[in-house]
Amino acid sequence: MEWVEFSASSVAEARERALDELGVDETDAEFEVLEEPRAGLFGRTRGVARVRARVLPRAPRPKQERPRKRSGGSGGGSGGRKRTRTSTSGESTESAAAEEQPEPSNSNGGGGGQRSQGRDQGSRRQERSTMEAAEQEAVASEFVSGLSRAIGLETTVSAELTEDNDLRVEIDGSEVGLFIGPGLRTLDALQEITRHVVQREAGDREYGRVVVDVAGVRETRRTALAAFVRTTAQRAVDEGTSIPFEPMSSPDRKIVHDTIAEIDGAESTSQGEEPNRRVVVRPA
Amino acid sequence: MNDDVNPDGPTHAVAVLEHLARSLVDDPDGVRVEVVDGSGRPQLNLYVTEGDMGRIIGKRGRMANAIRTVTRAAAARDGLDVDIEFID
Repeated sequence: MEWVEFSASSVAEARERALDELGVDETDAEFEVLEEPRAGLFGRTRGVARVRARVLPRAPRPKQERPRKRSGGSGGGSGGRKRTRTSTSGESTESAAAEEQPEPSNSNGGGGGQRSQGRDQGSRRQERSTMEAAEQEAVASEFVSGLSRAIGLETTVSAELTEDNDLRVEIDGSEVGLFIGPGLRTLDALQEITRHVVQREAGDREYGRVVVDVAGVRETRRTALAAFVRTTAQRAVDEGTSIPFEPMSSPDRKIVHDTIAEIDGAESTSQGEEPNRRVVVRPA
Repeated sequence: MNDDVNPDGPTHAVAVLEHLARSLVDDPDGVRVEVVDGSGRPQLNLYVTEGDMGRIIGKRGRMANAIRTVTRAAAARDGLDVDIEFID
């Protein structure tokens, strides 16, 4: 995941801007304060706050550990831990194998500095194993199915770890609107709890970004929001005024910014602080 | 949706609250939900083993809020409004 860097007059503002850009909830982001504004004379601040942020890496591709449907090639059957480089099929296999290099054994420590050049980060990443895809899927779907039973609803629950490392949980059935709630609040709450349940089971292991959806409502809503944004942005352009949207979550603001970015003559900014941060569209 | 009031009280809400809590804590056997009847608005008291409360409350109360939201949605199945308290 890429780091993005932002400057603003305060650390909080810089964080807000970074969240807008990344389009994730703050719990899914990682921050580093690079520079804080210094306190100047008479309580004024001088200089800027610089923050860098990225979406929390939730697993460096569990490729080797998971028998994936690959297009073409029968290379490397079910994921035994150590994958030998027998296949001649080429790069993808090669690099997968390279990532799976065994940890340098302790014996080669020799003398001198323990920390050899730049290996630090790499080895730390290797230490953190990944929860098997099947196990992630089972934990998430069992939890959500159990919830359906407790609530007394007939539902179908499926969970899949996607290529993008999203752990997607889909709920379908009658009366599932109960799981959505006004403004997706119930669904977002359920997603948050599901994430923690998976996290608890994962322990130190990496796991996918949990997305819980009901009858495809997230995509439906996304499409509707984008359509509404286009109409509003066009009005801002036509009337030559700026128009504020209502406060939205960071993922929703990202949809708004991205939609406006594709419209000629309109531009967007965010104003205010969570949870009242909102996007404003104005003529460019 | 079921708008009739469940004559047995907030049974769905209780079952959901128990399920959520048990799925989050280290000691599922230590989870207990008590229903205190108010006038038309029952209160659900959640008890967990000492040391597990942090998982239930979460960072800045986020998990507690999420648990409340989902449990209240379940209470709608019982035709009831409920309050949820986390008892230390």
